[in-house]
Amino acid sequence: MKKSTFRKAILIAVVAMISPVFMVAQEVEQTPFDTLATSVSKVQSDLNLLKKIKVTGYIQAQYQIADSAGISSVAGGSFPANVDNRFSVRRGRVKFTYDNTLTSSVIQIDVTEKGVAIKDAYIKITEPWSKSLSLTAGVFDRPFGYEISYSSSMRESPERARMTQTLFPGERDLGAKITFQPPKTSKWNFFKAEAGLFNGSTGLTSDFDSKKDFIGNIGINRTTKSEKINYGFRASYYNGGWRQSTSKVYTMAADSLGLNAFLLDYDTANYGAITKREYIGFDGQVNVDWAAGLTSFRAEYIQGLQPSISSTSVSPVALITNDAFNRNFQGMYFYFLQNIASTKFQFVFKYDIYDPNTDVKGDEIGKGVKNYDDLKFSKTNKNDIKYTTTGLGLVYRYDTNIKVTAYYDMVKNETSKNLKGYSQDLSDNVFTLRLQYKF
Amino acid sequence: MKTRIYIVALLFTATIITAAFAPAALILKIKGSDTVLPLSQKLAETYMKINTEAKITVMGGGSGVGIAAFLDGTTDIAMSSRKIKMSEKMKLQDAGKAYKETIIAYDALSVIVNPNNKVKQLTREQLEGIFTGKITNWKDVGGEDEKIVAYSRESSSGTYEFFKESVLANKNYGSAILMMPATGAIVQSVSQTKGAIGYIGFAYLEKTVHAMKVSYDKGATYIEPTIANAKNGTYPVVRPLYYYVLNKDAAKVKPFLDYILSADGQKVVGEVGYITVK
Repeated sequence: MKKSTFRKAILIAVVAMISPVFMVAQEVEQTPFDTLATSVSKVQSDLNLLKKIKVTGYIQAQYQIADSAGISSVAGGSFPANVDNRFSVRRGRVKFTYDNTLTSSVIQIDVTEKGVAIKDAYIKITEPWSKSLSLTAGVFDRPFGYEISYSSSMRESPERARMTQTLFPGERDLGAKITFQPPKTSKWNFFKAEAGLFNGSTGLTSDFDSKKDFIGNIGINRTTKSEKINYGFRASYYNGGWRQSTSKVYTMAADSLGLNAFLLDYDTANYGAITKREYIGFDGQVNVDWAAGLTSFRAEYIQGLQPSISSTSVSPVALITNDAFNRNFQGMYFYFLQNIASTKFQFVFKYDIYDPNTDVKGDEIGKGVKNYDDLKFSKTNKNDIKYTTTGLGLVYRYDTNIKVTAYYDMVKNETSKNLKGYSQDLSDNVFTLRLQYKF
Repeated sequence: MKTRIYIVALLFTATIITAAFAPAALILKIKGSDTVLPLSQKLAETYMKINTEAKITVMGGGSGVGIAAFLDGTTDIAMSSRKIKMSEKMKLQDAGKAYKETIIAYDALSVIVNPNNKVKQLTREQLEGIFTGKITNWKDVGGEDEKIVAYSRESSSGTYEFFKESVLANKNYGSAILMMPATGAIVQSVSQTKGAIGYIGFAYLEKTVHAMKVSYDKGATYIEPTIANAKNGTYPVVRPLYYYVLNKDAAKVKPFLDYILSADGQKVVGEVGYITVK
């Protein structure tokens, strides 16, 4: 190639490379207003992205005094031996939400002195047409009743009722549910129905028996035109069970003296069979805004069949290797909440009952059984005792973030002269002073 | 030199003391309803003329946006064209925020069409049919063979909810209804589209659009949206406009609220195109 030709080629190449730069430079030449508009647009775009990410949470630090050391309690867990007062971090929640309008995902962890635990990890997808149906999958609150999904950061009593804690420990489970609720813009928004299948093992452990439990509810929530009264009602149903690991199953029946006790069903066919777990529940809430302040009434009733073991009636969280004990149960709670006029104080009254075994009461519990020749019975025990708890409290909401709760739980147990240690009411009342910071 | 230092120190101390004890200038943030927006802007403007140290900023966005900001603590006053909802009251209670509600004026909600539209009056039932999507052509309500283009505010608007409750008898808006982010956008769209219909607060009425007469007695009588008709109770689509203030801010907001409810403030209310509370 000649030198001149080479130079020309270089020149053409350079011009070709530079030209678009200038062309572009001419095209993008902006006024200060355009530059500002571009910057604002970029900031807006970034802001919209950031708005989808939410980090919320709350910390509950508390001091508790129990009537006596080492008591068994549902007020944040039993007290260790020799301990009748304690400081603890009851909950330390951090929740990460990515909300993309029709799809969202949530991860929530709990950080306390006991360690770090996963509370929620789920995905929610809403269909884009009517926006009435949504699918939730992962680990999340079981769609049964009211108290389970009512946030602990908002609840006026420090803990859920004994019934809720016994039947639904940890509140959550692994599974998937379909929710039907028309969007807020629809006049049918007051109606809601949920149905799902769950492992039945709580969200704390993996499935241990392949059996999937059905949970569903149907209800309404309405507010009067004057926006002064809000009310809601719901019916819930649970149908599930868990795999038996022995051939022995106990159910309640009358012994040869007519005393209700656990009748043994010994059959090799019981091994690996599913023992039935079935609940039906009803709940209702009424909130009234009137001159004395906001007044709320809440109540929930659950009854059904609870399969568990001799030493507890709490729902299993892992594979049970003991014999199965089936109990008919019932429980309820009632709240009366009164905001004191337009102050930051709220009075709390709560009454709850949990009877783990409705087939026995009083002195029948723990009484010796008399077998038939071919039927063997096992006597009932302390896990068949009914508890009633009356709670009185005062809540002070300093601001959006800080809430102080002083609450006294008066626990009364059913007594039986046939049950050692339960011939009289136990000294197991608990006072809780809780400081909560919500963000 | 020493004397000068003393004087400077004295002046400095006096300045600090004066600043500390001087009455703080009123600085207020108002946010919420687009319907109330023009009124709040005018009231703020006239108030700041009288009280030159006061600084009041007013922003729209919708009643829902205002009350959300009120909950977040990012506004001193939430302006709303609907009553605060029970769910919002409960959130405020959970945040330890007691509040006070004040009606500052009333508004006559007006249905507007393009001035070239021959249909000048509609019954409530016809409006319900149009906004629920059952009536889609003007010929079905006595007009030309022209497609109806209906505009509404977004669901965060108090006007959206009031219109749904009062005019649509709580029925759902049709899926073809165009949701607009602000009242001004509805006025502009209706003025530019022959087959358009929308609804706005009375104060937003302009010559570029026509306010329809409406009938709430199945066509027996049609009433024009005017302040006089709203005041004498014959115009049926009238609603109160609210200010919500936290009790803790009551003292701070009081001078401004007192002004709004005074004869001077209410005079402004009438001038801007709203109905006075007294």
